[in-house]
Amino acid sequence: MEQRTNSPYPRIDRPMLAIIGVFLVLSCVLFFASDRDHDWRYYQAAFKGEVATQFGQERAAQVTTGIQQIWVADLGRADRCITCHQAVSWKGFENAEEPFRTHPLEPLKAHPIEKFGCTSCHGGQGWAVDVIEAHGEVAHWEEPLLSRALGEDYSLSGNKGALIQMNCNICHRYDRETKGADAINLAKRLVDEKGCRACHVINNRGGRIGPDLTRVGEKAPEQYDYSRLSGQKTAFAWHVAHFKNPKEVSTDSTMPVFGFNTEQAQALAMLVLSWRPADVPAAYLAGAPRTDVPTPEQAAEELRMRTGPGKWFVETGCATCHSIQVYGVKAPAQIGPDLSNAVEDVQSRFGRTIDDFLREPTGTMSVVLSRQIILTPEQKAIAIQKLREAFAVYQKQQAEKER
Amino acid sequence: MTMTPTPAPHPEAPGVRPRRFWSVTPRSDRDAGDAITSNFMLHAFPAKVSKASMAWSYSFWLGTITAALFLLLTLSGLPLMFLYVPSVERAYQSVKDIEYVITFGSWIRAVHRIAAHAMVVAVVLHLARVFFTGAYKNGIARGQHREWNWVIGVVMLLLTLFLSFTGYLLPWDQLAFWAVTVGTNIASAIPWVGAQVRELLIGGREIEQATLIRFYALHIIVLPGALGGLFAYHMWRVRKDGGLARADREEITEVARQVSPSPTKTYTLLGVTTGTAPTVTARSLEAPNTTVNAVPDLTRRAMIATLGTFAVISILAVFIASPLEEPANALITPNPAKAPWYFLWLQEIVTDTTIHMGSFTINGAFIGGVILPGVLIGLLTVWPWLDRSPSAVTGEWFPRARRTQNLVFILVMVAILLLTYVGMEMRGPYWQIYWPWETWPSMPGRI
Repeated sequence: MEQRTNSPYPRIDRPMLAIIGVFLVLSCVLFFASDRDHDWRYYQAAFKGEVATQFGQERAAQVTTGIQQIWVADLGRADRCITCHQAVSWKGFENAEEPFRTHPLEPLKAHPIEKFGCTSCHGGQGWAVDVIEAHGEVAHWEEPLLSRALGEDYSLSGNKGALIQMNCNICHRYDRETKGADAINLAKRLVDEKGCRACHVINNRGGRIGPDLTRVGEKAPEQYDYSRLSGQKTAFAWHVAHFKNPKEVSTDSTMPVFGFNTEQAQALAMLVLSWRPADVPAAYLAGAPRTDVPTPEQAAEELRMRTGPGKWFVETGCATCHSIQVYGVKAPAQIGPDLSNAVEDVQSRFGRTIDDFLREPTGTMSVVLSRQIILTPEQKAIAIQKLREAFAVYQKQQAEKER
Repeated sequence: MTMTPTPAPHPEAPGVRPRRFWSVTPRSDRDAGDAITSNFMLHAFPAKVSKASMAWSYSFWLGTITAALFLLLTLSGLPLMFLYVPSVERAYQSVKDIEYVITFGSWIRAVHRIAAHAMVVAVVLHLARVFFTGAYKNGIARGQHREWNWVIGVVMLLLTLFLSFTGYLLPWDQLAFWAVTVGTNIASAIPWVGAQVRELLIGGREIEQATLIRFYALHIIVLPGALGGLFAYHMWRVRKDGGLARADREEITEVARQVSPSPTKTYTLLGVTTGTAPTVTARSLEAPNTTVNAVPDLTRRAMIATLGTFAVISILAVFIASPLEEPANALITPNPAKAPWYFLWLQEIVTDTTIHMGSFTINGAFIGGVILPGVLIGLLTVWPWLDRSPSAVTGEWFPRARRTQNLVFILVMVAILLLTYVGMEMRGPYWQIYWPWETWPSMPGRI
């Protein structure tokens, strides 16, 4: 046979190939190891240990192993939380530390796990199987776990675990009161008391002075203006600051300062963020009201104001901010003074007659009358006429009182 | 009735020895011959190869590395095809599954992603090497058409970019969706037919299911098939053109000399005559001092380049996780929205040539997205015919005769790299320039 060419290469190339072989083996070891290295393996072993100490080896043998998931096809959710939170449906771990605590039974009665999964209420990233990723505390996951810890981060002034109530209210938005959702209930009461609907459409009812809030929770965090906000830049933080002082974060806002305390502002922020469409099949909403109708009292009151002697003020829109007590008209948002005695009140406040003031208003009224309620000179004359009539009634009432 | 005699079995055809595998330890010359005829490697490569073209420092083996990356992409793409669901509803979730719960899923995806980025880099470096060494030039041998192999190479570069671009959309996250939005919007700046080109590309007017399935089919079948076919042709042309251009140079520079016959070799001439002592005049290619056997020297080095590439990518893939942003949302534009990195220099030029004068805007997409890349690719394609340097410098790094063109090439490359860097690292929210020491404003979250 032919003699091989006297090649210089094997001397260097063979060891080189061997080194590359070593690197290939190393890479195999690395990717095997990195694939094995998941938090859930540790927690499953730990849970098995817990069960063994509490209930004995036999029960421990029944603990499932491997990745577990709840697949809810209707919601498109694959929640692997139970891979680590294995005690969810085990009795006897009610007082254990997470992740090995039994889930409270009460909420599960109406929301069985196999139908709702975990993340539709708790938030977090159901797809993931490692602690940080699963709890959603990673970039590009906008639904973090709505946990007590997150509430503490936000220094919620009331119940630190209240953030989860946001998710309750996605389906329960039309409830007047939802069991267990105290913060949301507080916020809903505030919405009624402060008359937010005077300016905002909420659930397809309300005034058009401010933006429609029906789906405001859907607004992306990038769509807010954070330039006047210090600290955390989140939609939640923006709403809290806005509820405390609207002009501070949005200079053009004509929304009044309601003087909400921190707890109220946070509850309201949670409420508005929960106002987004419930992307669930109709069957899931069987138990919850499907529309937001005013109570019979509210409806009767509104009808009375619309048809009573104060009708003109209600229709024109004055009654949004001003009550007219003499006609029994109560403004939903009592921002401006009562108009019953406007004739003398304007004189004492501005040193001008009511005619003069309405022709050339100053302050807030100049903004309102140039942007929101635009009146022709004829309509202004009617307004003055109506105000004088109201003042006449007011004087009569005062006289009667004095007598 | 006469019995027909059973035909005798065919005598074994001379020279044909069917054998499933070649012998590693041939016992006879015939075994050794079989080993050669049934060996793919010996047919992919020539029998002998010049030492000069084996050198790491000549070619840096960039073509082999590119081919290795293509092989790795095919291998890693195969399992991904089983796992990925090309539908708008399921694509994002299936990638989440690959990332989180599929055994080795995140590693396979990382291998695929890193190899894809690396392939773009390797192809460009390979092209630069061929340019700097003038390897698209024909040397001395007859029938060389290296210029056409260069053109095929340019087409393969474009295919590689398009392959990477089509793969970019598949995870169906914000990064994917908006990179493809930016990319296809640049395409729509082509005059007259721009809107139609974009429509053809994305299968409609919006990036939707039609786009996803179109990109998927292109990504897994059409483009790899085309690239594989061209690759085969590219390799075949390399052999037809007499190997690397460096080998030509060897022949040019070396003086022909008498080579004494090898005492152990049997020389035959078409089987008519055999003997042990014809005296030949040889230049490098057959000279034992300047050539080595392709097997095992060349194959071993090809193995080193291939497996080395595999090892590097595989180890990197353990440590570099692949990003997956929020699910694609046509209503929310991420700030800033960027094209894939290899198109960022174009996006940067588009920005810089977009001029606002009051309310009047001159859109730079035509200059940056059409004219400039069009001119560059056009020049690149016809360059072998424009390059008038002597064929003596074929296969030489930075020869004096090609100094100006190499300099211009370097300047263009540096400009592209700089613009890419600006686009990648310095363009922050609202496409503002941020210097490396300036921090970007933090992007808001929901909760």
